Amino acid sequence: MIPVIEQGLLLALAAMGVYISFRLVDLPDLTPDGSYVLGGAVAVVLLHSGYGWAFSTLMAALAAGTAGAVVAFITTRFKINSLLASIMVMTALYSLSIRIMNAPNLPVPRFDTGKITSYEQIVGKTPLDDLLGDVGQTTFEGSGMRAVKIPFTNTADGHDLILIAVVVSFVALLVWFFLRTEFGTMLRGYGRNRFAVRVLGVNPDLFAYTGLILCNVFAGLSGALFSMYSGFADVNMGIGTVVICLASVILGEIIFGRFELMYGVIFPIVGALVYQFLLTFAMKYGYRIGFKPSDMKLLTALFVVAVIAARRFKKSEVTV
Amino acid sequence: MKRFIAVVILILSILSFGAVRIGITQIVDHPALNAVFDGIVKVLEDAGFKVGQDVLIDRQNAQGSMQNAVAIAKKFATEKVDIVVAIATPSAQACVQAITDRPVIFSAVTDPVGAGLIKQLGKNTTNVVGVSDMVPVATQLRLIRRIFPNAKKVGVIFNPGEANSVTLNNIAKSAAPSLEMTIVEIPGTSPSEMITALNSIGPSVDVLYIGTDNTAASSIEAIGNAALRLKKPIVAADIDIARGGGVVGFGFNYFQVGVETGQLLVELLKGAKPTDLESHVVGPDSLVLYINLDIAKQLGVEIPADLVARADVVVRDGQEVAK
Repeated sequence: MIPVIEQGLLLALAAMGVYISFRLVDLPDLTPDGSYVLGGAVAVVLLHSGYGWAFSTLMAALAAGTAGAVVAFITTRFKINSLLASIMVMTALYSLSIRIMNAPNLPVPRFDTGKITSYEQIVGKTPLDDLLGDVGQTTFEGSGMRAVKIPFTNTADGHDLILIAVVVSFVALLVWFFLRTEFGTMLRGYGRNRFAVRVLGVNPDLFAYTGLILCNVFAGLSGALFSMYSGFADVNMGIGTVVICLASVILGEIIFGRFELMYGVIFPIVGALVYQFLLTFAMKYGYRIGFKPSDMKLLTALFVVAVIAARRFKKSEVTV
Repeated sequence: MKRFIAVVILILSILSFGAVRIGITQIVDHPALNAVFDGIVKVLEDAGFKVGQDVLIDRQNAQGSMQNAVAIAKKFATEKVDIVVAIATPSAQACVQAITDRPVIFSAVTDPVGAGLIKQLGKNTTNVVGVSDMVPVATQLRLIRRIFPNAKKVGVIFNPGEANSVTLNNIAKSAAPSLEMTIVEIPGTSPSEMITALNSIGPSVDVLYIGTDNTAASSIEAIGNAALRLKKPIVAADIDIARGGGVVGFGFNYFQVGVETGQLLVELLKGAKPTDLESHVVGPDSLVLYINLDIAKQLGVEIPADLVARADVVVRDGQEVAK
């Protein structure tokens, strides 16, 4: 129960970003698939370099935000659809994340290990040694590790839950206050009607930048915290982030309907929690009623379609 | 009816009383990883543990999603699972982070130290023990040197997104200079990228080498055909990959990885503690030499007679003969 809420709230951070790009500023952005990984990669690499977890997380969020700025730059400067621009940045981030980690997968260091490893020590003897001769001295240099402290304890006493909940509520409140400001109001206006905002005499590109940077900062933050929570960063951990987050946002909107609490910042949080519970439920009971593991993605897709259909049926105002 | 249900529940609870619950999690549905699972079950049954009676297996699959892998690890942590077996790197990392009070066995992780699972191979002081699927890369390069004395460039086909493959590639790169070889990387993050890379870089290399790469394994038929068209022989570290189009394979099959993992599990079931057991690389007894003389003939490769005599599996005139 507690782990489900924890994971749901971690997902909620990324979902908040997706809500901002897809809904508030109406600039569909697929970068979170990549910036989520970038966030995790930067955070874990900085942990390896001996920086504290808070600084690492902050830097991870900033790095991901930079990716958002690049998307905004391509979109506004070259007048390319934001979807297309974000696909390119997302693809580039895959390579970049491997570069940053210097590997496709990097653990949060749990103990101290040496840099140099001897090949013979690992592999030992093989049956072909007498035919091929001894392999000789082969050593290879790993990165080596120094154990670090992370805030997550991985116990069931709710320690991690409180920590994550505090971060998520803090971020949500921050976004809410931001959206209440004059600039925030204009940002929301930009999402509703691009031309109306122009009348106010503000460069509309500024809103594109703000929206896309915020979107990716949250995705990066989510990725960084997830990496510390789970103990590793992996280049494949971002696959499907946008789809899952979008499903969460839609779920949240269904649940709250037209009631836009906190300008809808609450949608992705509630949606992500519900999504995580549905997933856990499917994982726990799905197999018993004959589903195979490979059916889960189909179920997710069908579920989202069903939810959208249900809303159309209700003739709600918001469109997908 | 109520009484009947009560009796059934009573019988079930008696049956499952004393049964050990084992949680097995794997990162994705893949023939190699499924073979590991089969190997584990085989050893359990050979050792006299009836699955479903003495041991209850809760098998979970993360479908390639790291988030699911973590969710499964947390599920095992909160439910009363007695022993956890995690197959492949991300699943193992998730379990090791989430579970500290019960034994965790990792399997099919090439570099468990680099993956942060254990401090060193051999005995450790934690709840984690397992089997690494590290292959003898340097020995395989020596094998290449022996069969192809003039080979200078060895093309390594691998997915730069797979931790296991990158580890093997790094070892190959550090071992190659002493054998006067250079490693040429042929990377692809998907089967189609791999074929494209092979077709563009392949012509410049002398021999192709494939480690225990999952992406290559799932598209080995296509890679084998492409290599045949390029007239480049494939040497593989995984016998199942070698079967798909290799000339020579020296390594293990993943069923064997499962068998060695299962042996650790049986030790734990018999009362051993994780700290008593040694984490190790798939042992020398599981290493198999595979030679396909048909493809060798097709490519004009001459395999030394002493190697053929030593081979455990030889393919000749379309017939596979195991020693």
